[in-house]
Amino acid sequence: MTSIHTDVQIGICGSAGDGTIAVGDILKRAMARAGYRVIAFDEYPAEIRGFGKCVARTRITTEQVYSMKPSTDVLVSLNDSHAIPHVQEVRDYGAVIYDSAPISLIEEGWHISGHLNPGQLPYSLAMREISEQATGANRSRNIVALGFVAGLYRLPRQAFIDAIAAKFQTKAAEVTESNVKAFSAGYDHGAQVYRFDKVEVGPPARRTRKQDSTMMTGNAAVVRGCLDAGIETFFGYPITPATSIMERLAVEMPKHGARLLQTEDEIAAISATIGAGFTGARTATATSGPGFALMSEMMGLGVMAEVPAVVFVSQRGGPSTGMPTKTEQSDLNVAVFGGHGDAKRIVLAPTNVEGCWRCAGRAFEMAEAYQTPVVVLLDLYLSNRYETVVFPKDNPFIADASKRAVLEKPDEPFRRFELTVDGVSPRAVPGEAGGIHTATGLEHNEFGRPNDLSDMHHQMTEKRHEKLNAALKHPGITIYKRFGDTGEVDVGLLAWGSSFGEALEAMLLARAEGIRCAAMKVVMLSPLPVKPIQRFLNDCKEVIVPELNYEGQFANLVSGAVGRSVIRLNRVTGKPMAVNEILDAIRSAAGKRKVRKSAA
Amino acid sequence: MHHVIIGNGIAGSHAAQVLRERNPDGKITIISAGALLFYNRYDLPDVFRGRCDWIDYLVHPPAYYKENKIKLRRKSLVTEVDTNKRTLTLAHREVMSYDQLLVATGGAAYVPERLLEFIPLMHNFNNFRVAMEMRDALPDGGTVVMLGGDALGLDLARTLVETKHRVVLVAGDRTFWPHEVNPETRPRYMQALEKMHFEVIDGKQVDRVEQKNGKGPARRVVFDDGSDLPADVVMPFYGLSPSIDFMSNAGIDIERGVLVNPQLQTTRDDIWAAGDVCQIWSPEHNAYRFFYGWKNVKMMGEVAARNMTGDDVAFTTALDEVLQIQPDGTITSPFWDYD
Repeated sequence: MTSIHTDVQIGICGSAGDGTIAVGDILKRAMARAGYRVIAFDEYPAEIRGFGKCVARTRITTEQVYSMKPSTDVLVSLNDSHAIPHVQEVRDYGAVIYDSAPISLIEEGWHISGHLNPGQLPYSLAMREISEQATGANRSRNIVALGFVAGLYRLPRQAFIDAIAAKFQTKAAEVTESNVKAFSAGYDHGAQVYRFDKVEVGPPARRTRKQDSTMMTGNAAVVRGCLDAGIETFFGYPITPATSIMERLAVEMPKHGARLLQTEDEIAAISATIGAGFTGARTATATSGPGFALMSEMMGLGVMAEVPAVVFVSQRGGPSTGMPTKTEQSDLNVAVFGGHGDAKRIVLAPTNVEGCWRCAGRAFEMAEAYQTPVVVLLDLYLSNRYETVVFPKDNPFIADASKRAVLEKPDEPFRRFELTVDGVSPRAVPGEAGGIHTATGLEHNEFGRPNDLSDMHHQMTEKRHEKLNAALKHPGITIYKRFGDTGEVDVGLLAWGSSFGEALEAMLLARAEGIRCAAMKVVMLSPLPVKPIQRFLNDCKEVIVPELNYEGQFANLVSGAVGRSVIRLNRVTGKPMAVNEILDAIRSAAGKRKVRKSAA
Repeated sequence: MHHVIIGNGIAGSHAAQVLRERNPDGKITIISAGALLFYNRYDLPDVFRGRCDWIDYLVHPPAYYKENKIKLRRKSLVTEVDTNKRTLTLAHREVMSYDQLLVATGGAAYVPERLLEFIPLMHNFNNFRVAMEMRDALPDGGTVVMLGGDALGLDLARTLVETKHRVVLVAGDRTFWPHEVNPETRPRYMQALEKMHFEVIDGKQVDRVEQKNGKGPARRVVFDDGSDLPADVVMPFYGLSPSIDFMSNAGIDIERGVLVNPQLQTTRDDIWAAGDVCQIWSPEHNAYRFFYGWKNVKMMGEVAARNMTGDDVAFTTALDEVLQIQPDGTITSPFWDYD
C-alpha cells in the first residue's frame, strides 16, 4: 500500500474576537503532536478586538517544505465578510466550510456560499447551533468548526483533545471540558459528512518521538538560541513583532540566573546593552524598524568601542508606525548601513525557524569573536511563523568566544585596541587587573585614548572593517548556500530572510517543469559573501531577486557588490511573497532565454 | 434582468444554457441544494461498474460556469418565495431578489406513508452521495430488495443484475411507474421482469423493514403474511413526489405539482416551472399532467427559457411513453434514454 504524501494547507478566517488565532493554534499544535510537519503563519489586525480580520493558516505535511503553499486546500469562515476575499485562495476541488445558520437575515451577496468558484466544494455547518447544543453557549463555534475539520479529514482526535487541554491548562477545568465537548460535537458532525473534495490527509510519514521535534515560532527559536548561548542580560522595549522575544526571555532568563530589564525606550535599551557588553556579559536587545532607528547612534558607539552586543530586529511594514502587524523586508538598508560614519557591523538574516535559533546562538559568538554589535534581521513572517524543527541533542554554541587578553604585566598600559593581523584585539573587561583602558566613542589609539591623527583614523577604520571578514568563515553557521541544479542554469534565485522559503519552493516547482534552475540563500548580509554570490551569478543566465520591499534593497546591495544587474521582484503587500509570483517570474525569465536563443 | 433558477437538474441546467444563449448580458443564478455541479443522475448505476469519482459524472467542467457567467449557488436551500417582493429566502437567511423565476426542483422519492418510519433503514439512489453509500452497503453478489419498482428502479436493477447482484422486486401498483400498465397486460410485463433475471414477489404487502445485527444481510423485509426476506439493501422505488414545499405560500396555483400552462408559465407572469415539479395543462387530456424522462425534462427547460426571453412556444412531449417488450422478452422504457 502506498502512503499518501500529505500536503494540506488549512486557513481559518474570522474577525478579531472570533477565536480564529486560538483555533489555528490548536490545529497546528495538534498536528505537530500527531507527528506531522507544520508551518503556520497568522495574519491579525493591529486592533485588539472587534475590527479587523484574522487569518490563521497552517500547512501540514509529511515531507520537508519551506514556505506556506500558494493556495489553500481548506478555508474555514468564522466571519463571511472577512473570509469572502480569501475564497479565491482556495484551489479547485478544495473545501470551503462556513456557518449555515447566521443569527440574522443577510443581504444579498453577503453570504460566502455565493462567492465560491464552481470547482470548490462547499460544506455548511450550523456552528452556533452545535456549540449551543454541546456547551450551552454559542461562543465555542470556533472550536466546533475546528472539530468539524478534524472529523471531516479524520485527523487524530486525541491529539486535538490534548492540544485543547494544553491550551486551557491555566484556566478552570470546566473551560477545557466545555471546549472538548464543542470539539467532539464538531468532530462527530464532520466524520458523518460525505466528502466530495480532493483533499487527502494520510498518516504521518514516520513516528516522531516527542523529544525529537518541537514546533515553535521564529521568535521562540531566537529565545532558545539566546538561552542555549548563555545570554546573561537583556534590555528591551516592547514593539511588534519583536515583543514576544522579550516576553519569553522574561520568563526564562531568571530560571538561568540571567537578568532582563524593560527599559523606558529603545535608546536606553541599546545603551544598556552596549554597557553590559562592555562589562563582558553576553547581552542582547530586540526591536523592530522604528526602534532600531532610535538605536542607530549607540550602534555607532558599539562599533567604535568594539563592544560585543546582539540586536534582534524584526521587520514590519514601514516607514514610521506603518503596518505593525504586517510583514516586510524593508529594514535591510538600516540594518546594514544605518547610522553614522563607517560603522560596518555583522548582519545575519535567518531564512527559517531553525535558522533563527542558530543565528541567535552564533550571533553571540560572533559578537564576542569579532568584538562588534551583531544584528540578527528577522521579519514579522519569520518571527510569528510556526515550524516543526529538530534541534541537535548537544548544545553547539561556544560559551566564550572572546579573544581574551593575557595580562601578565599589570603595570604596563593595556593595548585594548592593539592592531593585530586579524584585526581583533585582545580584550579585557572591567575588573581584570592590568586591563585598564578607555572605551570611547572618539577615535582612539591602541590604548583607547582619543586620537584623531589621519593615519590612526585610517588604521583603526580599516581594522574595524577588515576584522569582520573572518565572520564569513565562522564555523557552525550557513553563511550562504546553493540549492537546485548545479553548474550553469537558466534562472537563478538569490534570496534572503523569510522570502527564501518561497523562493526555494518556487525553484523546486520550476525544476519540476523542466526549467534548469537554482537558488541561493544568503544569510550573512554584512559582510556580504561577495565571491560566492559572484560565482553563483556567473552560473545563472538570468537572476531574480525576490524581496518584500519596494526599492529592491538586497538587489541594490548585490548589484553594487558584484556589478551585475538582476531581475527585481519586489512586493510590499504586507504579506509573504507568493510562490506563484516567483514561479511566474522564473517562467518568464526562462522564456526570455528561449526567445533569445531561438532568435540567435 | 436577473433570471433565478431553483434546481440544478437537467431542466434547470439546460434552461440556464438556453437563457445564456438568448440573453448574453442577463444575470443567471442557479440555486442548488446539493454540493456538486450539474451531473448526470441517469449515469449513476455506473458506480457499480467502477465509475466512482463524481467528477466523471459532470456534464460541464467547472470552467463552463465561469465562461458562461452562470452563478451556481450550491448547498443553498430556498425556504420561502415572496412573489410580491420578488425575493427568495435561503436557509442560511440570505434574501435574494429575482426578476424572473424558474422552479425546477424536480421530485423526491415518494415513499408510502406506512413505510415512512423505515426510511432510515432504506437506501435511495437519487444523487451521487446516496448512490455511493448504497454501493458501499452492498457486498459483492449481495441482495437488493427493491420495493415498488418504478422505471428508475428497474433501470438500476438492470445494472445490478448485470454486475452479479441479486435483485428481488416486491411488485405493487407503482411498479413500472410512471408507465401505466393495465391489468390485462400486466402479467406479460411481470414475466418480462423475470426474463430480466429479477426475482419478483407479487401480491404481498411490506409490513416493516428491520435492521439485523451480526453476520449476514443487514436488513430484513417482513411481509403482512408474516413471511420475511433477508436483504443487504432495501430500496424504495414508488415514483416521485414534486419538491414544492417552499412554494406553499408563494400565491401560485399548486395541485400535486406547480400548475403551468403549455408555455410552462405559472399563474404569475414572472414565474415558470419545468421538469418533474410541474403539472402542465394538456389540452389533449383536458387536465394538468406530469411528463417525465430526461428528454421531456430537458425540453421543458428549453421551452421555459425561450418563453422567459420573449418566445411563445408550447411544450409538447418528445417521447412515446409506452413500455416496450423487446423481441428477447425483456422490457425497455423510453424514460431510460438520455443524451
